[in-house]
Amino acid sequence: MRTRRLSLTSNQFDWLAVSLYFLLVLLGWLNIYAAVYDDELGASIFDFSINSGRQLIWISTSVLIILVISIIDFRFYDSFAFIVLGVIVVMLVSVLIFGSEVKGSKSWFGIGAFGIQPSEFAKFATALALAKFLSQPTIKFEKISTQLMSLGIIAVPAALILLQGDTGTAMVFACFIIVLYREGLSPVFFIIGFAFVLLFILTLLVNKLVLIIGLLTLGLLAAALSGRNIKKIGVVIVSTVFMFGFVQSVDFIMNKVLKPHQQKRVMQLIDPNADPLGAGWQVTQSKIAIGSGGLFGKGYLQGTQTKFDFVPDQSTDNIFCTVGEEHGWFGGLILIAAFLALLLRITQLAERQKSKFARVYGYGVASILFFHFAFNIAMTIGLFPVIGIPLPFFSYGGSSLWAFTILLFIFLKLDAHRMQIFTRS
Amino acid sequence: MNIKSSILLRVRVAFLLVVLFAGAVVYRIFYLQRIQGDKWNKMAEQISLRYLPVKATRGNIYSDNGSLLATSLPFFKVAFDPSQPSDELLKKNLDSLTYLLSRTFKDNSAKEYRRRILEARKDKRQYLLLSRAEINYQQKKKIMEWPVFREGRNKGGIIFEKVEKRYHPFSTLGYRTIGSVDETEKGTVGLEYSFNNQLGGIDGKALFQKMAGSWRPVFDGTEVKAKDGLDIETTIDVNLQDVAESALLAALSDHNADYGSVVLMEVKTGEIKAMSNLSKNPEGNYWERYNYAVGSQGAVEPGSTFKLASMMALLEETDLKLTDTVQTGNGEYKFYNQVMKDHKPGGYGTITVKQMFESSSNIGIAKLVVEHFGKKPSEFIDFVKEMGVGQPLGFQMAGEGKPYIKSPSDSSWSGISLPWISHGYELKLTPLQTLTMFNAVANDGKMITPIIVRSVRKADKVVEEFEPRVINKRICSKETLANLRELLEGVVERGTASNINGTHYKIAGKTGTAKKYVNGKYVNQYYASFAGYFPADAPKYSCIVVIDNPKNYRIYGSDVAAPVFKEIADKIYSQDIDVHKEYRPAVAYQTEVFPVVRAGFLPELSMICNEFGVSNHEMADDEEWVKTRLVGKSIGWTANKVKEGLVPDVAGMTLRDALFVLENAGLKVRIEGDGRVESQSRMAGTRVSEGSEIKIKLG
Repeated sequence: MRTRRLSLTSNQFDWLAVSLYFLLVLLGWLNIYAAVYDDELGASIFDFSINSGRQLIWISTSVLIILVISIIDFRFYDSFAFIVLGVIVVMLVSVLIFGSEVKGSKSWFGIGAFGIQPSEFAKFATALALAKFLSQPTIKFEKISTQLMSLGIIAVPAALILLQGDTGTAMVFACFIIVLYREGLSPVFFIIGFAFVLLFILTLLVNKLVLIIGLLTLGLLAAALSGRNIKKIGVVIVSTVFMFGFVQSVDFIMNKVLKPHQQKRVMQLIDPNADPLGAGWQVTQSKIAIGSGGLFGKGYLQGTQTKFDFVPDQSTDNIFCTVGEEHGWFGGLILIAAFLALLLRITQLAERQKSKFARVYGYGVASILFFHFAFNIAMTIGLFPVIGIPLPFFSYGGSSLWAFTILLFIFLKLDAHRMQIFTRS
Repeated sequence: MNIKSSILLRVRVAFLLVVLFAGAVVYRIFYLQRIQGDKWNKMAEQISLRYLPVKATRGNIYSDNGSLLATSLPFFKVAFDPSQPSDELLKKNLDSLTYLLSRTFKDNSAKEYRRRILEARKDKRQYLLLSRAEINYQQKKKIMEWPVFREGRNKGGIIFEKVEKRYHPFSTLGYRTIGSVDETEKGTVGLEYSFNNQLGGIDGKALFQKMAGSWRPVFDGTEVKAKDGLDIETTIDVNLQDVAESALLAALSDHNADYGSVVLMEVKTGEIKAMSNLSKNPEGNYWERYNYAVGSQGAVEPGSTFKLASMMALLEETDLKLTDTVQTGNGEYKFYNQVMKDHKPGGYGTITVKQMFESSSNIGIAKLVVEHFGKKPSEFIDFVKEMGVGQPLGFQMAGEGKPYIKSPSDSSWSGISLPWISHGYELKLTPLQTLTMFNAVANDGKMITPIIVRSVRKADKVVEEFEPRVINKRICSKETLANLRELLEGVVERGTASNINGTHYKIAGKTGTAKKYVNGKYVNQYYASFAGYFPADAPKYSCIVVIDNPKNYRIYGSDVAAPVFKEIADKIYSQDIDVHKEYRPAVAYQTEVFPVVRAGFLPELSMICNEFGVSNHEMADDEEWVKTRLVGKSIGWTANKVKEGLVPDVAGMTLRDALFVLENAGLKVRIEGDGRVESQSRMAGTRVSEGSEIKIKLG
């Protein structure tokens, strides 16, 4: 009995998740070197003048961060969740005022040669705050006010990041819907969201008249099927009308709401050949890189398409191209498998949490990682418009590696102490 | 129980979606690589094959006697084909080789070089750039002696890639006139810019393939050879340019002026022998930044030098005589509401026309012009324009400043325009345009455009020749011309420029001191100039000196600009035998006699000999720099070793070869004369200290 207790409270990080983390970081580092590798110079992977050398700095500082997280009392995160979010929100506001503009987004604090991107850190802060909010004993998720408050916690940082002009990172916050779903949000929201995305794309693809006739037919069919139930017929009529309106407003959204470069990215997805040298350039280049990789790839450092500047941002957002080109389909498969394994492990860990706080936070971690992983890869292979978010643990970049490390290891720390929760509540 | 299963269901649904998405991604990649793979592969191949330009060698710029003013010298990048050397060779020498690489280039440690070479060799790569540094010929020779590399391209795997760089043998002399090129060897200013088309040649192209990391040529027979640039032969005389530049620089420093220009022109041919422009940079040093003599920034109100044109109009169009008198009064005279002043306080009183010109009385010339042309000002303006002043010269260098002379039809024409034009205001001329007018007077009334490029050549063949255009065959009658020359000589003998009188040859010219027009009003800043020609009896050169905004007490053209003119004229007069003797004995070239071959670069010399059918053979092994020895009826090449740290022997070489060898030995070269090297100031074989100077005499 005594020994069992000890093992349960030995406060170890989950070794499987930690190994997967280090595996991904290591593979990412090797691929960053491949992405910036210049045969003529033959600089070593440790060369601080290239991204791989600098990534090594980020990796070693991340290890320091892990040590710090393991030292800090696990109750800190619970108690200070709102304060952490508050600090981050202040940073998000001040970056709008004092930040420097990089590639059209005002989301960087320049500190000497390096920059810090507060929006990266907003993700784990939001996850913490959301978890804290939902884990309060008096909170009932079924209440509309709770749901609205949750949305508010997510929306404030997201809106600030949107103001910075960083649409991609702002979209990441949509992933918290998954967390809310786990906690009891109706699946209707998913269905509605999905329907709107589908409609949006269909409107761009199909003649509007055809679409409206189609919707009308569907509406009539649904109405006929709902028999004499007045309430159901009402819902069908309202939603059909609403969809009409939406179809009509797609043009407006395309032309007025989306910025020109975003319009192009959406159109590019629908017709990749429309503008192969303009908006389609990036996607075409990354498709060429991945497509020419074949089943087994060209071999490490042997890629040609991801060298030079054929693929833009090749060591950051488009790092997956290097994997696809040099390691082929199998390489991609292994990477995706590693990510899936990590996600699965995190959900498993989340489910075994005794405290609601840790569980909700765990789901937050899994959702954020999933969103990044899915949409980053999806955009490089032309399944989704280019939104410029990094591949977690893999892409080059200090802020993003640090933020993902903090995000994951706070959860692993909470998990390590899951047995002690009893003593608190 | 119910709640638990509901939650489990939700988790499973969520994770199923994740897996589905992952499956979609995996399928999509599979689709891209397997099903569309060929298409993307083909596109990849297409963008990895590319025609890249092959640089043409840029042509040279020569002085009037064939001295090099600008040339492209070869530099090299060092690369290595690690697949070439044998295992044994590499094993034995790799340590010393990597040590040398690391010590020479300092890019990487020896260990790192070792790692890279071995790795590249393992990967069967055929190209490894060892450093981005560009080394010169001397360093290249040294590297060729290194272990492994000394086995050559095939056994040793050493690859040298040639890069050309623009080089000015005379350093900054005439820098702005000769011009410069950008990093792509495209002319940016000066002659390099104006004649960029001719100098640049036509780049060829060849197919290159992108291998992992670098472009490598594919020799598929489709390459287009580069057509090397043509040479241009300028009219610049290096010695005169030097004289002009140093005289100008001294004057600018003395007077703390903003900028200055000197143009020296050969009267009969219109050839520009020297053109120097110096302006002050923010640090207070003078350097060649802008060509004020030619460019639009140099087109300003010339002041009194323009009185030559006014005088010409008066003498030619009216019956005015030099002995007539004119009332200049007390030195102040009102035209309408504007007061015109003479620079002598109290004025000149009543003087003759000749005295008026020599003392540069503004009131005098203005009153005469108004008296004779006041009712028909257009006649005056037309005369000046028909004479040839006021039209762009169409000069060979780009960016000529547009001349402007106000005419009565202009809206800004006023009652005071004519008197002010008569002494050089309300009009704009560049120094070169003013000089062209003075040159016409010196050239017996024939006005010709100045030229600075005599010909475009391809080696010795003339591709295009330039001659000055005749603007006006006879600008005025013989009598007027004689009078004008008398007046210009008088300016120096008795007039405003009498401070430069007293040479044993005669100078003729006119001073000018114009007030500068700054931000809409005339301020107390001056534009001092002196234009003229010498020797006045048989003019050989015309010259203009302008000095802008002198700030140290003396501001008049006579005090500031005329002495520069005299200094230049004195030096030329003492050096140039042509001024004394009117013809140059033609060099007696005998046909069918082999051109002098005394020393030089073996591949070139032996090629010449072979072309001419002169039997020749090497008497030394594998030497590049040789001297000749006559062996019976054939030529023998003996070694002329260039040793590191020792002064090379350049006797008998052409200037190009000598410069190449000497500069590479780290010597600064000063050149005298033309032809082949006759003597050198430092004895061959003595030690060189870095940066020391050597004078070579050509003959």
